[in-house]
Amino acid sequence: MRVRVLLFGVLKDLAGKADDSVDLPEGASVADLIARYGSQIPRLKESLPALAVAVNQQYASPQTRLKSGDEVALLPPVSGGCGLGHSERSEESVHSAGGGNA
Amino acid sequence: MTVRQTSSQQRRHADLQREPIDPQVVVASLKRGEDGAVVVFEGIVRHQTRGRKTLYLDYEAYEKMALQQLEALAAQALQQFKVRDVAVVHRLGRLEIGETSVLIVVVSAHRGAAFEACRWLIDTLKRTVPIWKKEYFEDGAVWADGEPFPDEIPRANPAAQGSHS
Repeated sequence: MRVRVLLFGVLKDLAGKADDSVDLPEGASVADLIARYGSQIPRLKESLPALAVAVNQQYASPQTRLKSGDEVALLPPVSGGCGLGHSERSEESVHSAGGGNA
Repeated sequence: MTVRQTSSQQRRHADLQREPIDPQVVVASLKRGEDGAVVVFEGIVRHQTRGRKTLYLDYEAYEKMALQQLEALAAQALQQFKVRDVAVVHRLGRLEIGETSVLIVVVSAHRGAAFEACRWLIDTLKRTVPIWKKEYFEDGAVWADGEPFPDEIPRANPAAQGSHS
């Protein structure tokens, strides 16, 4: 089955693309999809504990089973709104490497 | 943002836009005679981050999901707090220093609930809505550190021992 994958924020830069589609076996889960991307996105594995996933615009767990035509998005910690908040206090960031300009 | 009616007659409370946000337009569209308080929060672009001078910011979003999340937040605020109406507008694209990236307006009979709802809205938005900002400095650009997702949102790590399914 074919699913669409969307990448945002630093993941988009690391993968070199924002939009992708992937063929998976029937019954594959979000975790299976993520495993596929491990080789395409540097440091993906280490950043997984911080990332969230959405399936068809709803937050989903890695165990979620996918079906053909689903839209899966890999979401780094969000930074909408304004100001610095967490980032001013954080000592290290999973995503600080960005485009190599820390 | 002006208040829009959808075909189902349900008012929209949230908007994403690339144009500069005009808080007065939003306030004017929300206020009614029964309101005793209007609380307005504007998030604005700061001129520096950790000592580095910011040239400008760029906001991007998973737009379809961000809009749904913002609407859901607005609905939750209306349920949780004794307020009459709310509006949330987030800007996308390039923003210069001093510009408004997010606007929250809350109207209610009394100010206590309006302040609480407004605070809750911005605090929750910053942790859950799929919007990301990239900061452009003189010597490069970096995606801003994001807020950790709240516990209720599952992480991508399959081995994570979350307390929520």
